[in-house]
Amino acid sequence: MTDKHGASPPHGTNGPTDVEGHEIRHEGTTLPTLPGGLHETTTSRTLWGDAWGRLRRNKLAIAGLIWIGLVVAMTITADLWVPPTFGDPLSVNTTPGANLQPPSLEHPFGTDKLGRDVFSRVVYGARVSLTVGLLAVSISLVIGLLMGALSGYYSGILDAFVMRTADVFFAFPYILFAISLIAVLGPSYRNVFIAIGILGWPSIARVFRSSILSVKENEYVDAARAMGASDIRIMFRHIMPNAIAPIIVYGTMSIGGAIITEAALSFLGMGVQPPTPSWGLMLSDAKSLMFAAPWLTIWPGFAILTTVLAFVLMGDGMRDALDVKMKD
Amino acid sequence: MSERLRKSIALLLVFGLAFTVLGLAGCGGAEEEEPEPGEPVSEGPFEGGTFNFYISEPAFIDPVNLQESEGTQVGQALFDSLVTFDPVSMEVQPAAAETWESNDDATVWTFNLVEGAKFHNGRDVTAEDFKYAWERIANPENESEISYHLSAVKGFDEMQDGSATELEGVVAIDDYTLEVTLNYAFADFEYVVGHPALAPVPAEEVDAGDFGEMPIGNGPFKMSEPWAHDQYIKVEKFDDYYGDAPYIDGVEFKILADQDTAFLEFQAGNVDFVPIPTGQIQSTIDQYGESPDGYTSNPGEQVVLGGELAVYYMLMNNTDDVLSDPIVRQALSLAIDRQAICDTVFEGTRSPATGIVPEGIFGFQDDAWPYSKYDVEAAKAKLAEAGYPDGEGLPTITLQFNSGSGHEDIIQLIQQDFAAIGVEADLAGMEWAQYLDMLSEGTYQMGRLGWIADYPIMDNFLYPLFKSGSADNYALYENSDVDALLDEARITIDDDERVAAYREIEKMIGEEAAVAPIMFYRHTRVASDRVNDGVYSANGLYDFQRVWLEQ
Amino acid sequence: MFKYVVRRVFQMIPVFIGVTLILFILRAPGVLPGDPVRMITGERGMTDALRQQIIEKHGLDQPLYRQYVIYLGNLLQGDLGESYQRGRAVTEIFADKLPNTLRLALAAIVIEAIVGVTAGIISAVRQYSFLDVLVTLSTSILVSVPVFWLGMLFQIFFGIKLKEWTGGAFYLPISQMSSGEFPDWAHMILPAITLASVSTAYVARIMRSQMLEAMGQDYIRTAEAKGLTRRAVTFRHALKNALIPVVTFVGIDFGVMMGGAILTETVFSWPGVGREIFLAVGQRDWPIVMGGVVIIVFLVMIINLLVDLSYALLDPRIRYGGGPE
Repeated sequence: MTDKHGASPPHGTNGPTDVEGHEIRHEGTTLPTLPGGLHETTTSRTLWGDAWGRLRRNKLAIAGLIWIGLVVAMTITADLWVPPTFGDPLSVNTTPGANLQPPSLEHPFGTDKLGRDVFSRVVYGARVSLTVGLLAVSISLVIGLLMGALSGYYSGILDAFVMRTADVFFAFPYILFAISLIAVLGPSYRNVFIAIGILGWPSIARVFRSSILSVKENEYVDAARAMGASDIRIMFRHIMPNAIAPIIVYGTMSIGGAIITEAALSFLGMGVQPPTPSWGLMLSDAKSLMFAAPWLTIWPGFAILTTVLAFVLMGDGMRDALDVKMKD
Repeated sequence: MSERLRKSIALLLVFGLAFTVLGLAGCGGAEEEEPEPGEPVSEGPFEGGTFNFYISEPAFIDPVNLQESEGTQVGQALFDSLVTFDPVSMEVQPAAAETWESNDDATVWTFNLVEGAKFHNGRDVTAEDFKYAWERIANPENESEISYHLSAVKGFDEMQDGSATELEGVVAIDDYTLEVTLNYAFADFEYVVGHPALAPVPAEEVDAGDFGEMPIGNGPFKMSEPWAHDQYIKVEKFDDYYGDAPYIDGVEFKILADQDTAFLEFQAGNVDFVPIPTGQIQSTIDQYGESPDGYTSNPGEQVVLGGELAVYYMLMNNTDDVLSDPIVRQALSLAIDRQAICDTVFEGTRSPATGIVPEGIFGFQDDAWPYSKYDVEAAKAKLAEAGYPDGEGLPTITLQFNSGSGHEDIIQLIQQDFAAIGVEADLAGMEWAQYLDMLSEGTYQMGRLGWIADYPIMDNFLYPLFKSGSADNYALYENSDVDALLDEARITIDDDERVAAYREIEKMIGEEAAVAPIMFYRHTRVASDRVNDGVYSANGLYDFQRVWLEQ
Repeated sequence: MFKYVVRRVFQMIPVFIGVTLILFILRAPGVLPGDPVRMITGERGMTDALRQQIIEKHGLDQPLYRQYVIYLGNLLQGDLGESYQRGRAVTEIFADKLPNTLRLALAAIVIEAIVGVTAGIISAVRQYSFLDVLVTLSTSILVSVPVFWLGMLFQIFFGIKLKEWTGGAFYLPISQMSSGEFPDWAHMILPAITLASVSTAYVARIMRSQMLEAMGQDYIRTAEAKGLTRRAVTFRHALKNALIPVVTFVGIDFGVMMGGAILTETVFSWPGVGREIFLAVGQRDWPIVMGGVVIIVFLVMIINLLVDLSYALLDPRIRYGGGPE
């Protein structure tokens, strides 16, 4: 299946898929190391300790980690402090003059067309984004790992079938595929992560499959097989530990991709439905008010940017720390 | 590095400086050029100039399927129907027909055409051309979606089911006399023939092909070149037009994908007439001034906010377990704060609906529907009367709507209003296609819809929406008394009597709160400061014949 | 070489069938809510005669498998059917849209190639310098920016604010309108930059890592040892090798832009292929959806093939044979 000639044409390779459907491609090459993540040889005992040591020295990755931590903490505790201080993200205020207020002390990000506090909505929007990101990637992981395992471990017809199916998924314009899927399922919170999750599997499957292929031929796997170990046992005992690093790196980056995709779908009206606060939905509302109320455009977009950036930096850092060569 | 850095900083400074200078120069220039608002700039009316009019890509500009606002806008510039409507008063006026009359029971109509009127290809317009055009619409092979305009005409049903190839009821007595026989008496038929789709069409041009891309009409403007899809439609003054010659040389219909972009282009000075995005209405009024009559724009009075012939209403499924009770419907209708919706979502540019027939339609009554108003106490009382004091025992209502067009804002306000009287409601947004399925199958509970008049008559808001079995009666309202009265009103020849009958019917339906009217639409558009005497009529058509442009 | 091309073309067939099959399954009654025929007149009721006429005309009364066979048959003759909503041939509709999409994609590709490659080279040659940090950080930011937000910011800033601040002296046009003040292509600047943003970041990243890898290779070191100057080494050898993955990426990206630019097209109201298909999904106008996806998939496949073949030009070591994979 993989072309063996010199330069492999990476038709639809791995990578979290961004909104325009470009994939974050690593085409048999390591993404450039961010300068903050210069490797320093340390002599830790374990792979993970080693990796953590390296990650800790990567300032950008740590910044990403801290930001994610902050966002998570904010969303978890939001019920306690956001509504009492700034107002409920859902409650509409029809008092004349209450809507479209520019940022002030009372409403740090201003208010929207229905008089709702934008700060409050941005905070609650993080809940939607993170949930969709995590759940979508979990779904991709479950399907992707299963498919990758099937095709990598058993080869033959099964392999060909799975990989051809993946090819079809890659050939389909990504965002259009997502839109069609949502049209079938009906636009809603739940269906958004299901759709993004379903569309994410082929990339995971490919990453996992190639990891398996590279490990499978090792002598110790042969040895294990000769000793009568079951397929399942070989998979978990020998293959998983060696394939886990790229999957973790890959999954982290995918969360960022899923968050952007959710925002894009909601922006197009094919995602989370109102009144649920979602960053993409807020931008969609802001579109007609770009000039009258620019604060409606600025903050939700900024929230997407910083959160996705945090996952990208984390992913970069983890890739360097775990020394993963993202190969096809 | 340091040297490089210094170089970059220097470069940056130079750029910054250049920008500032440019900016100052620009400011200075602008101050000198801008005329004082309100001050008469010129005498006029001037001839010449091209009006740049924003539309989105029309579905059709051929009268055979002139179905939506954008195509109709172009169609009415290219074609003249038998009659037309005064852009402000909506009264019927002669167009391709000079005079017309009906027999005593309004079943046979005779139209006398203007003699010597010409198509853009130079040929005279005759009664045969109307017959041809109407049969083209009624022929099912042409898949016209607006064939229902002719459903009253004798022979229409036979053409639709394929048993006839011509409209029996349409006869060209001679070149300039058209006689139309109807299946039933329809006193308002003169309004029907004013629809831009019912214009004459030259058969030879249709046969020549490409009529859909470059229609040949009989109107004040002709196509300059074929329709450039997604870009523009250019029309120019037709020199042999039988009526008053327009002042402007032509119209360029600029096709833009959405209203937000159109408004940006307006601000950049590239388009002369556009809708104002919500949120910017007040600031636009402050900047450009408001038109006194709501329809006519002149420099300094550029924002038009006149009433449209359209109503936005909440559908309540009259066959639903809970909503079949008129008292519950009355309670829900009373609970909705229509003024708040108009003010919050539309910046006060829509008006709360007091009935189903909007202002601007002859016969409009200010207090048609007793329950189409906001009264929380009365709503609570009604709810208790229905057996659900403070909403106890009332199942959660599902508010369905098609998302993505701003309806969610309105529905959220209604949800909050319902909560205030103890009625819980869930929102269910969905795609238009899915929503439409639900309405058609009657599987919704409560939804929304807008209704835009085809013709400026009361019948158009009552007959299709509330006659039992009508395809547009999505509320599934059924009342045999109303049905009988509707049929009766249609055959009432006397104008005053007929309007009185329709008013009575409107009140009967309102008494039962068959639906909950929310608001009447208003224009929210702005013209550029070079537009004089520009009239945007209540039925949403622009009068390109009177407008003139500052040179 | 010929054998290789034939083999690749045959590989396309199952993918092609897969894609069209998925679309046909979607349009099967009951799968996707929303009756396409009903959508034609919207909330206005439709006469039964008209309904019947439309159903027969578009062959919707046939069993689904037959519709599929008929569709494939017509497809082979270059007939993509007729739009439900507008009564125009799908090929005609896309003949109008494709040039718009093509122009925008080409402009974006030029931007991403020039900016991306330059940034990548600078960043690799001056590894760990201030510029390198700048490039790597900006690429991380660029891949994290939602393009539609970027497009909105551009419009606010370059379309309106700048014009206000400079009293009309400086701004960029937003849509396709040439007001005479600007050359025709000026309206493409903002959408093209927006569309190119993410890809530029990838090109820069790929370029940088490829250059670093290439510069570390033996033959480059040898060349350096032979006395060639550093600059010459970089450009003669490393660049050529590093370009291969970049060309790959750009080629595929071009294909992706053909159909995937829905967001940029939406934000800038660009009448392109992607937006047309997106709107058609909402309208359940299946002939447009099917036709559009078929065209895109076909173009992407052709481009992929061309990209593969172009390796031979860039790297003479690669020879395509018909040998086993």
